[in-house]
Amino acid sequence: MAGTTHAVNSVADGLRLPLEFTSSPRIAVVPLLEVGAEAPEVKTVFDEIRTFYAMDYVPAVYRWMARDAGFIQGYWTAVREAFIDRKLDRLTKEILAFAASMTAKSDYGVDFHLREARRLGLSDAMLTEAVEVVQLFNTVTKIADALQLQPDFPHAVGNR
Amino acid sequence: MEIVHVTEAHELTPEDQRFCEATKAWFKIDFVPKMSRVLLTVPEFGRPYGRASRRAMTDGALSRGQKELIATMVSAINVCEY
Repeated sequence: MAGTTHAVNSVADGLRLPLEFTSSPRIAVVPLLEVGAEAPEVKTVFDEIRTFYAMDYVPAVYRWMARDAGFIQGYWTAVREAFIDRKLDRLTKEILAFAASMTAKSDYGVDFHLREARRLGLSDAMLTEAVEVVQLFNTVTKIADALQLQPDFPHAVGNR
Repeated sequence: MEIVHVTEAHELTPEDQRFCEATKAWFKIDFVPKMSRVLLTVPEFGRPYGRASRRAMTDGALSRGQKELIATMVSAINVCEY
């Protein structure tokens, strides 16, 4: 889910899509498909998205993707499969997506994934701890890169 | 290659060597990570940073495993190989 999170955030922030849950002055630089004007196959996707996120509207980033029915069908299915409960539960995945969004400084991603994590049960204590870890590792990764530290486990199984 | 000399653990003060031993036990490894040694090059920074790290990475409302996943995610987004 790291890849889809980063990609969706890039599209949403790059196109200046308004935040979903927080008021923002952002105005989309592209026209978005109006809900109700979509093709039948896209309506099915929109219904799934609303149900998955327990929203009564369709997030702007998916209204953008809906310009290409074949693309949104494939991409949404991939996102859904990446985020559903598997070995990691859905809340943990949303916390990871929130951490990725913070690190990438994605306003859209932070707004979206924080709301979703909250909806799935993220407490204030969990949020505090998650942000602490994000802060710690944004510190050490910058130090490591600045000093060009070589990995401690360069040949460990699973490192490649 | 590193652009600085990475201090060897035995070059650190006894107090910092004890912290490094605790770090090895924490990670269940038989060496002191370079980052720990680099941070302790300036003990006034490294010691409190280490304490904050240990506190933040301990099991709490989130498990240590979840926290390590978050750390991995941050590292991936920052494209940090270390």
